Amino acid sequence: MTKKSIVIFLATFLVFFALLSCKKRVEIKPPAPPSQKAEEKAMPVEEVKEAPAVAKPELSEEEIFKAKTLEELNREKPLQMIHFDFDKYDIREDAKPILEKNAEWLRRHPTVKILIEGHCDERGTEEYNLALGEKRAKATMEYLVALGISPNRIKIISYGKSRPLDPGHNEIAWAKNRRAEFVIIAK
Amino acid sequence: MRIFKVYLSFIVIFGFLAIVAFNQQEVVIRIKGGMPAIPVALPKFIIHSDNPKIIKAAKEIHDVLKADLKFSRVFELVPEEFYSYIKLLDPNNILFKDWESIQSNVLIVGEVSSSKDNKLIFTGSVYDVRSGRFIFGKKYRGSSNLVRLIAHKMADEMMKAFGEKPVFTSKIVFVSDRDGNPEIYMMDYDGYNQIRLTFNDVIDTLPALSPDRTKVAYTSYRRANPDLFVFHIYTGKTIPISTKGANYAPSWSPDGKKLVFCSSRSGNHEIYIVDEDGKNLRRLTFNKAIDTSPDWSPTGREIVFTSDRSGSPQLYIMDAEGTNVRKISYGGTYHDSPSWSPNGDKIAYVSRVENRFDIYVLDLRTNEIFKLTENNARNENPSWSPDGRHIVYSSNVSGTIQIYITDYDGKNTRVLTSKGNNKMPDWSY
Repeated sequence: MTKKSIVIFLATFLVFFALLSCKKRVEIKPPAPPSQKAEEKAMPVEEVKEAPAVAKPELSEEEIFKAKTLEELNREKPLQMIHFDFDKYDIREDAKPILEKNAEWLRRHPTVKILIEGHCDERGTEEYNLALGEKRAKATMEYLVALGISPNRIKIISYGKSRPLDPGHNEIAWAKNRRAEFVIIAK
Repeated sequence: MRIFKVYLSFIVIFGFLAIVAFNQQEVVIRIKGGMPAIPVALPKFIIHSDNPKIIKAAKEIHDVLKADLKFSRVFELVPEEFYSYIKLLDPNNILFKDWESIQSNVLIVGEVSSSKDNKLIFTGSVYDVRSGRFIFGKKYRGSSNLVRLIAHKMADEMMKAFGEKPVFTSKIVFVSDRDGNPEIYMMDYDGYNQIRLTFNDVIDTLPALSPDRTKVAYTSYRRANPDLFVFHIYTGKTIPISTKGANYAPSWSPDGKKLVFCSSRSGNHEIYIVDEDGKNLRRLTFNKAIDTSPDWSPTGREIVFTSDRSGSPQLYIMDAEGTNVRKISYGGTYHDSPSWSPNGDKIAYVSRVENRFDIYVLDLRTNEIFKLTENNARNENPSWSPDGRHIVYSSNVSGTIQIYITDYDGKNTRVLTSKGNNKMPDWSY
């Protein structure tokens, strides 16, 4: 008997034996029945929720604006105030971007009419401050008009030094009080 | 000191001329140079009643009259202890030698009684002590709540008899926020009888009292714009005068028929004249600058005002037609609120130096400046007394803004108000 024939014999025997044993195992091991516990874990919990509230139809910016009273609008201060230098009424560089923003808002709301209030600090006399406050309001108005806002939409008024924002008697208070404020008077 | 002397000599001359002009009765006034205060004896009044109300009223009239005469700077009171050196006053037999011995020039004899209708009767008789001559007498009847007015009227008669303009029944209008927001009020010269005139619940500001004291011109924001109104104090009528643009800082013409004020109705702050009923509006200034704070001269021929045409607020005078404008302020960068003295020779105004405002007086003849306040505060809106010896103004020296009176030389400063903030006083002619 040659070495080759021994190998073939052994291989054939192994294959046969293996096949025999495979078949046997399949028959012996049926699938195990799933246990009671496992079945419980697998059950998904369904969270019970209320139906979502009925949404109100989404409002456009225009509609939100229309729904507000003048008082509510003014409380939100959509138009920012600007400040002035001591004894001066020309528009400062830092006020220009603020006025541009204000003009943009006014263009978006073309029905709005505004009142520009000119105010002064306490370091001016009563009479001269009334004039200076009006000059400030007027300079502010003219800047907005130059940006394309109709002068018919703007009124001006001066309060002189009678309505300070900050009642203090120092540079910080004075700087705050030299201002032009915007009040929406019609929409 | 020099300005002081010049002023006094002017008072003396003016006073004397006035006496010559007004008083044909021969009143001899001795002026020995310096302070021309006339020594007055004001002994206790003689009371012809047992009524405790009358006794109390008599004392009050005496007190008020004494305070008025002290205030005047025209009279000075002989110290009361001197009266004990001489015999008690007998109105039917006045021993003038006695009164002369205690250095009084003038003797006021007051008698108080009650009328049948339970009113108070006050009789004041004024004598020249050296000559023993009766100068004048006055008899007043009124209810006992009018004792202050009776005393003020008597004091005014004293002023008139000595060639002076009456002061004591004059009124001061002003702005107070004591009831929440700025409203117009009125008071006696001594701070008594403060009454509210406007009820607009908005800003009412910069009042001016008419020379006859029956009307107040003022600015109100009642129609959401600073408009000028004239309020008739004793009828309650309010008449709109100028309602276009901003309108403020009125001043009455001396005859009480016109107003001069500042308005931005043309788009810029200019000075205008208008009749007291709002008719015949006429523009006086034509300038790109701010023109404001006009005040009429006592002759009515000129107007002083503030303008920043030179770059900063300065004082100018123009003719009442708007012509002949000339600058009068100098030596400062910020002047405003001019007030022309009733004698026509001076202008009181506010000047800002650093952050302080002080009241200054410019003598138009000598061009000299006298600083009236010096308290490291904001002193504003000066206004002259009808006789030009006192100035009322507002100051924040106490922390709140209150109304003060001071004499032409800055002496005898006293406060008139205390409730809330009180400002922008205007003293009637």
